[in-house]
Amino acid sequence: MNNKLLKPLGLGLLTALSVASQSAVAEGDAVSIINDKCVACHAKESDTSWSRISHMRKTPEGWLGTIGRMQVMHGLEISSEERATVMKYLADTQGLAPSETEGYRYALEQRMNTHEEFESGLFTEMCARCHSGARVKLQHRPESEWMHLANFHIGQYPTIEYHALARDRDWWPIVKEQMVPMLGKQQPLESTAWSEWLKAGDEAVVGSWSVAGHMPAKGDLHAVMTVTEKEGDDMYAVALEGAFADGTPLTGEGSAIVYTGYEWRASIKVGDETMRQVFAVQDGTMTGRMYSADDDSRGMDITAAVESGKARVLAVQPAYIKAGTETELTIVGANLSGEPSLGKGVAVVKVLKSSDNLIKVLAKAGKAEGVNTVAVGTTSGAELAVYSSVAAVKVVPEFAVARVGGNGGSTAPVEARFDAEAWAAGKDGKAGTDDDFRIGFMPASWTAKAFDEQAAADEDLKYAGTLSDNGVFSPAGAGPNPDRKMSTNNAGHLTVVGTVTDGDSSVEAEAELIVTVQRWNTPPIP
Amino acid sequence: MKMTNKALLPLLAVSAVAGLTGCKEDAKPEAAEATKVTLEQGHEYMVVSNRPSQMHVIDLESEALIKSCDVPGDFGPGTLQIAPDHVTAYMLTDHYEKIYAVNLDSCDVVFSADMSQAPDERAKTLYSMALSPDGKELYTIQTPTKLYADHYEAMEPRLAVYDTASGKDAKPVRTFEVPRQISVMQVADDGTLYMAGADIYKMDVTSGKVDVAIPSRNWERPLYAPPDVLNVWPIQTPQNEFTILYSTAKFTDETYDMNTATWLWGYFNVDLETGETETRDFAEFTEIYFTGMRSPADPNIMFGVLNHLAKYDIKEQKLVKSADLEHSYYTVAMNHAGSKVYLGGTFNDVAVYDAETLEKTNDIPLPGGDISPSTAQVFIR
Ligand code: HEC
Ligand code: HEC
Repeated sequence: MNNKLLKPLGLGLLTALSVASQSAVAEGDAVSIINDKCVACHAKESDTSWSRISHMRKTPEGWLGTIGRMQVMHGLEISSEERATVMKYLADTQGLAPSETEGYRYALEQRMNTHEEFESGLFTEMCARCHSGARVKLQHRPESEWMHLANFHIGQYPTIEYHALARDRDWWPIVKEQMVPMLGKQQPLESTAWSEWLKAGDEAVVGSWSVAGHMPAKGDLHAVMTVTEKEGDDMYAVALEGAFADGTPLTGEGSAIVYTGYEWRASIKVGDETMRQVFAVQDGTMTGRMYSADDDSRGMDITAAVESGKARVLAVQPAYIKAGTETELTIVGANLSGEPSLGKGVAVVKVLKSSDNLIKVLAKAGKAEGVNTVAVGTTSGAELAVYSSVAAVKVVPEFAVARVGGNGGSTAPVEARFDAEAWAAGKDGKAGTDDDFRIGFMPASWTAKAFDEQAAADEDLKYAGTLSDNGVFSPAGAGPNPDRKMSTNNAGHLTVVGTVTDGDSSVEAEAELIVTVQRWNTPPIP
Repeated sequence: MKMTNKALLPLLAVSAVAGLTGCKEDAKPEAAEATKVTLEQGHEYMVVSNRPSQMHVIDLESEALIKSCDVPGDFGPGTLQIAPDHVTAYMLTDHYEKIYAVNLDSCDVVFSADMSQAPDERAKTLYSMALSPDGKELYTIQTPTKLYADHYEAMEPRLAVYDTASGKDAKPVRTFEVPRQISVMQVADDGTLYMAGADIYKMDVTSGKVDVAIPSRNWERPLYAPPDVLNVWPIQTPQNEFTILYSTAKFTDETYDMNTATWLWGYFNVDLETGETETRDFAEFTEIYFTGMRSPADPNIMFGVLNHLAKYDIKEQKLVKSADLEHSYYTVAMNHAGSKVYLGGTFNDVAVYDAETLEKTNDIPLPGGDISPSTAQVFIR
């Protein structure tokens, strides 16, 4: 109904975050570009201050979205190099402190299956139904600027107060009288976190980084990432070399830029696939997500530690061992020195391989169950679960969205990837109680079925796509399907069942999967 | 389009559901039908609009398209009202910012009005368009935004009254403040303007005084949840009624337990001849309908449409029949005899169903693209 009113940005904006378009620029360039390009509409208030522009703080993606809107809606003409320069300058001088992004980084990391929950139900209904609530939480501005933003919303999208969850209430008065004052109070322009951060100075990134990670429906990985300086403002060359636990290489090269002193954004070509990195650099560590530029569901969780810094244990892979058995474990870390230890009751039978960032051991677990801390020398870090049996399984995510695509259309399909997370019953032997402990992601077998009667009647299972043995759902082609009732598209509603086999018994769990249409609009922050 | 009614979707699944229409390519219509055909007295017709920007007249006796008139502007939403003279049709278009009236005999544009009243203003009309019984006045609700160089300011909506004889580029002759969130409107025979918003309001179009005709959001029905009303289709019915569907939940007791509540469909009705109003449940809620209409032949029969064409017995609160559709249709319309149901909206065809059997009897393709959210109107010249 409001297709016309909700125009997509259509600029392929996320690509702009990666660095290809970035050139060597200085702050002075940004100021002169703003003076050149923005003052037609934004009044100059001082040498480095302009109306609206200088009265809010946001993430690099937030700035990119705004400037993109200036182009699409207000006819701003700006080259991608100039845009990158302005964005860098604004993200550096009017960004968010690391602590201000905490809890909302999933949106920057494009974790589309995140189920958002906010303390205020009113906020969820008012401001998190068209886009993520995180898009809002990742902005700081005074009340007057929140009011301008609210006026922009209703002025640009007049149907906003007619939608479900708006037409049941006095939407606009609630925005003006409740939401705007609340946002002004909770997310003001000035904060101690930001002023402290400005004083603290930038994080160092040059050097060699030890990387540990996990990709759903694929497994654990470890790698070394080498970062070297490149010409340009906070620009770096990156080389990644590593592999998944199953041996698949994870090797590639690319470039990176750091915004706001800690917001690492890189673009790396791994084989044929361009992968984006969205990491927060903090005190010699990086955390975040690396995902495919074509399909953001294909991503991995990453932690990394710089090799020139403190000793750190990042991960143990796999993160579990069955009581009374012997298995190989890999400890990933940085500056590791000293003897590896796997906690009470788990013996290191033999060190198979050892370096600064990787120790491979043959481990043997005793009878005792529990969660142990892994240490190397005096440095401890990752957790190792010792279990005797799998009591329960959770499919992660429990609710996922896949999207049809391809089939001649311009939008690639979006997969859904599932992991089976195993849990032990704990001391009381009963699953579902407080003393249960997480074992970790275990190999599982996967099947799909119709979610409900409607889905069965519509034969969703037949049309919506296919689920692989390792838990990857690949949606079917886009567009109307003449074989389906009412020639509908290949959308569907399925239940995905993951089964973990543990000795003679098997434990299963379910997740809900919605297969829906393409996302036409991929804004920098969902 | 298959839609999922999930109350809590994860990040961004939401945006897929937000766009309601499937957009098909705008095909350039085949050589427009003879534009000079005039309409015959006493004959029953339907007028319907679609992309790229046309009004089509269908002869309902032969069920054939007899003519197409071009309408200026960028199409959308295409909301139509047929004037009481049954010669002129009004269309809201150009991104909800303009109304054009077209003489259906000559295809001439006889009236136009820009919803915005100042150069620094952008005003949109959200489906609110109705005509006085004598056809001399056009009522619209305009929601203006003031456009400053670096920010917007949302203004309060106004009811703007136009003299339909003002020709092109008409200016309002009166304006009044009105509540926000009003969508469709209809005028009663006595000239009272009924407007569907938070409540169903009635306005004296001379003084601008607004009263509540039927409480909706503010209804006081014990054990009922406030109703949900989606209404963007100002359907003019043969029996001269303003009918608005609502859905609601009825609880079993004061614990207001959603799990034991019954979900219901109902309708608000204003008899535009007598001014009589009605609020009435008519069925259990089993699926979504975008529009509903009572039969001109039997006021106890209600038709509802979106993914099915459903027929209800209002007194018995019972589904009488339901027909599968080849695709979704947003709007329902009927002939004056009440023997036929016409489905429109969505794509570029009007489907004809027998009101008795719900068998599909015809499909009238339209040149051009989607009808989108436009409303078909049936009239007798
Ligand atoms: C042609 C006029 C025009 C130009 C040029 C323009 N803007 Fe804007 N800008 C607007 C308007 C109008 C608004 C208010 C509506 C909106 O938010 O989109 C706005 C709003 C903004 C906002 C506030 C958005 C928010 O989140 O509330 C920022 C920041 C901004 N512009 C930055 C810029 C920058 C940076 C440039 C230059 C690179 C620029 N604009 C160029 C017209 C313009
Ligand atoms: C009808 C759907 C809808 C609702 C409801 C909605 N928004 Fe938005 N919002 C949008 C769209 C669309 C954009 C993107 C505009 C653009 O293209 O930049 C947006 C953008 C934003 C931005 C980014 C603007 C910028 O330039 O940085 C913020 C912040 C925001 N919304 C906050 C809110 C708040 C606060 C609320 C609740 C009062 C809200 N939104 C409710 C649709 C909505």
